[in-house]
Amino acid sequence: MSAVTAAGPFRWLVQLWAVVVKEVRQTVQDKRIMALIVIAPFLQLVLLGFAIDLDVDQVPTIVVDMDRTPESRHAVAALMADGSLTAVGTAGSPSDADAALDRGDAAVVLIVPEGYARDLARGEPTQVQVLLDGTDPTRSGIAGGAAVRYFGEQGFSLAKQRLAAVAPDVQISAIDVRSRLAYNPSLSTPIYMVPGIAGMLLLIITTIVTAMGLSREREVGTLEQIRVTPLPTAVLMLGKVLPFVAVGLFDVTLALTAGVYIFDVPIRGSMLDFYIVTSLFLLTTVGVGLFLAAVSKTQQQAFVGAFLFILPAILLSGTMTPIHAMPDWMQPMTLLNPLRFYLEAIRAILLKGASLSDVPVQTAALLVYGLLILGFASLLFRKRLD
Amino acid sequence: MWLFLTRVGAMAGKETLHIRRDPLTLWLGLALPLFLLILFGFGISFDLDHIPLAVVDQDNTTESRELRQLFTAGSEFVFAGALDNPDDALDAFAKSQAHAVLTIPEGYAAALSRGENVEVGLILDAADANSAQQALARADAFAQLASAQAAQRRGLDIAGSMPVSARTWTRYNPAGRSALFLVPGVTAYVMALVSVLLTALAVSKEWEQGSMEQLFATPVRRAEIVVGKLLPYLGMGIIQVLLVLVAGTWIFGLPTNGNGLVVALGSLLFMVGMLGQGLLISIVARNQMVASLTAVMTAMLPSMLLSGFMFPVENMPLPLRTLSNMVPARYYIQVLRGTLLKDNGFAELAVPLMLLAAFATLMMVVSTVMFKRKLA
Amino acid sequence: MSASPAIVVDKLTRRYGDFTAVNDVSFQVEKGEIFGYLGANGAGKTTTIRMLCGLLSPSEGDAIVAGHQLSKNPERIKRAIGYMSQKFSLYTELTLKANLEFFGGAYGLWGKALRRRIAEVVELVDLQGRENVVTGDLPGGMRQRVALAGAILHSPDILFLDEPTAGVDPLARRRFWTLIRSLAESGTTIFVTTHYMDEAEYCARVGLMVAGRLPALDTPDGLKKHFVPGRLWVVRGPDLLTGDAAARLSALPGAIDVQTMGAGLRLRVQHDAPITEQTLQQALARPVEIDQDEANLEDVFLAVVDADSQQAGTAKAFGGS
Ligand SMILES: Nc1ncnc2c1ncn2[C@@H]1O[C@H](COP(=O)(O)OP(=O)(O)OP(=O)(O)O)[C@@H](O)[C@H]1O
Ligand SMILES: [Mg+2]
Repeated sequence: MSAVTAAGPFRWLVQLWAVVVKEVRQTVQDKRIMALIVIAPFLQLVLLGFAIDLDVDQVPTIVVDMDRTPESRHAVAALMADGSLTAVGTAGSPSDADAALDRGDAAVVLIVPEGYARDLARGEPTQVQVLLDGTDPTRSGIAGGAAVRYFGEQGFSLAKQRLAAVAPDVQISAIDVRSRLAYNPSLSTPIYMVPGIAGMLLLIITTIVTAMGLSREREVGTLEQIRVTPLPTAVLMLGKVLPFVAVGLFDVTLALTAGVYIFDVPIRGSMLDFYIVTSLFLLTTVGVGLFLAAVSKTQQQAFVGAFLFILPAILLSGTMTPIHAMPDWMQPMTLLNPLRFYLEAIRAILLKGASLSDVPVQTAALLVYGLLILGFASLLFRKRLD
Repeated sequence: MWLFLTRVGAMAGKETLHIRRDPLTLWLGLALPLFLLILFGFGISFDLDHIPLAVVDQDNTTESRELRQLFTAGSEFVFAGALDNPDDALDAFAKSQAHAVLTIPEGYAAALSRGENVEVGLILDAADANSAQQALARADAFAQLASAQAAQRRGLDIAGSMPVSARTWTRYNPAGRSALFLVPGVTAYVMALVSVLLTALAVSKEWEQGSMEQLFATPVRRAEIVVGKLLPYLGMGIIQVLLVLVAGTWIFGLPTNGNGLVVALGSLLFMVGMLGQGLLISIVARNQMVASLTAVMTAMLPSMLLSGFMFPVENMPLPLRTLSNMVPARYYIQVLRGTLLKDNGFAELAVPLMLLAAFATLMMVVSTVMFKRKLA
Repeated sequence: MSASPAIVVDKLTRRYGDFTAVNDVSFQVEKGEIFGYLGANGAGKTTTIRMLCGLLSPSEGDAIVAGHQLSKNPERIKRAIGYMSQKFSLYTELTLKANLEFFGGAYGLWGKALRRRIAEVVELVDLQGRENVVTGDLPGGMRQRVALAGAILHSPDILFLDEPTAGVDPLARRRFWTLIRSLAESGTTIFVTTHYMDEAEYCARVGLMVAGRLPALDTPDGLKKHFVPGRLWVVRGPDLLTGDAAARLSALPGAIDVQTMGAGLRLRVQHDAPITEQTLQQALARPVEIDQDEANLEDVFLAVVDADSQQAGTAKAFGGS
């Protein structure tokens, strides 16, 4: 009395198709999920692409000019012209300026001493004081550096002038650095950050959606219903994964389009290579999602687990802090991070025109991690009969 | 009022039971902030050191080798190998073997001995613009130093008798440690995330499992549900804040300046606001997947990127700066940095505290209102 | 019907830590039979079914289901069985048709065969016209039929139903059982758990689980004879529940027990007890209405639980097949 069913290798194709169709129907019927996995990442990318700009300039500065001479005014104006600092006010005494620093009205206080012009004219050494708000070390470093560099250069050229006046035939050589900025001559931050954010969003969405989707089936009992059917675990997994790999590829295409048109991200390598590494990366993210669903009892646990994976992965990807700048004990940890390899690979492909053979380690790492985690997830899943 | 309190108490007790029945989530909730604090505290650094530098030495003299040493002796650059030809630079970049290539031209030593000017080449992998910029500034400084040294070698000491110079004094964080700047930010970020995530599923789970309908059959009022749901998480949050601040002081040497009352008040207001945001999400979402994705989208990246935690808000374009005004983590960071690093008190921090209070109130009110509406 | 049974269960045991949910259970289910499985909450019914469906691995023991050994060939078993779990477990957010298409596909059904089979099943469970309704929006009784449709899509030889009519109104329950019986008539073996004694009466044989063991298994009549021997009288009249009426009845020679039943009393006596309507009238000394009564499965259930709790150790003496 058995009904006619497909046989042989054809059978699992039928089963796979059934899972994919079901998965798509479930996702599509909830418009909010569609919005969250397609539109939200795009918006975030565009917004955050603009947000991330580590350039520090226009640091608010209060000037205490105790000399009040044309020379002192000139020195202040020339320093401000560089753009790193910007004068937001003046104060009569250093202690007034101090209070402004406390209130956070300014981050730098520039104090030109009384007798500045006189000492310069007499050839006596004089010193400008720069008071920095060190809460943000990057900012204070740059602001202090700008002041030190400006007055250093002034001093160097004054010293050379004086030397020339006493010994006209002695030459002092200057070593200049002639720099060339490869890939990104305008030093634009988004070019670097946009692929980074795209990778993060991809990781967040595909991991959470797969982890929660599968644990939801466990929570509501549909998984049990599936498990009495002859649907093989591997086919179930594959069917659940494929639609979200597709969503991921779609998202990344959208992100790249935004990157190219809004942030001038170059595409110097081959798009095929780009999609190959992206697919390999998605293998890992959905694999982690399935793994989390396999080990958790509830959606909440799966979610916390996903979170526990996503945040360190983002942090250790080298986007927020370059890996070479991390502490020595932390650097090896990044070797376990698929996001690190993915971002290295796509940056090399997009920005540097690399091909897959230029990033063999990254490609291989993604492939190996993807297969390992997927295999492990299937195994755990099958093993877990409660 | 008495009735209100007992019913809120009952709700809170029930929710506490839920949390306790899932010890995994409970422990994760407590351990997660610490784990993230350590990870972020150590992992994020703005001192972009150890830039891998490859060198093309076409001069091959004592002087050229000294220049290489000058560049790589400190922590700024690390020597990543010698290249034969500057044209190999791009290849080294593509393979991530080096981020900068220094070229010392033939005749470098000879020019120095004659007092002539000389140019060295620096090719930078500028894909990461920030690292490139820092490398550039440092290379300039090294070159200046090298020219002073060359002059000194010829008996011309100009570095010692500079007619004008600037001297810097750094307040609040004299050692310039990133950690001091970051730990308050990390605290705010971690608390923002964990609170939103914990509560985001609290109500949507009940929608999904149908127990919410049952709750509505009882005389418990909406506001009571909202407050009752929130209380246990607030308790957990307070423990988390304490843990993180103590660990921050202990591990990262965060100074314990400032008015403890301001920190406590700021933390409380911030936690209520973030927990309220999570609750609001879960009330509106009714579905755990929607709730968790929304929570992540509204908390994970914005609290990181728009709060001033890592990226200065002042540099952002106007629309984003406006948006960042709506990120409560920004004000909490102000409170923490202000008290802990600058010894600020109520007077200086009144505005951020008030904004935190406003956000917390808004979230609670909107949650209650949305709750009523969902029912209709 | 061929001779080999549809299900042979052999010393099946399942433990959770120290707790034994199913304890050394053995029985057989014949082909085409409706086999009922009764037991209190937590007795181990669901656990047994889940083991037989390959959802849970037994701690000890084995079973042969549809001719395949559970421990060796669980995948073959899956093709031959259908399972309707205690909790509605189709996708509530999908339509009836989408659900059936998915589960049909999982069994390898596709194309025209799948469409035809879906149409057949939908007609069988009488849900024509509701194919495009989201199952979460259907009333409870219909949902049960949807779940049944999902479980019989692939025409299984054996159908496991775990409390299929829990929370369903009496009319819908009756309809559901009509369906089950017609399935059994066409040769499907039915293994069903229930808390409704009237439903148990529909079963060819009934197994009774108590605390993980199976102390009783027989036809409903056989169970009644064995566990509720004797005759039953029902006495109705004024003031029976107050005063000493119950005590007087228990004092009669050969009386086994007295229960209240509505406003009346129900007396069980030994078969050979010398009790007639007159003796009862006399014993109560008031005008009452007296009827003979039949034992029902509820009596059996209570008797078995009682006997089992008294002699838990020797319970095996009753049971088995
Ligand atoms: N995963 C588990 N871990 C521990 N104990 C369990 C587990 N699953 C079931 N049990 C216990 O095993 C016993 C048998 O449960 P089972 O679900 O089989 O009972 P049941 O007869 O189906 O009851 P009901 O009529 O309530 O459905 C119960 O006491 C239950 O608490
Ligand atoms: Mg059960």
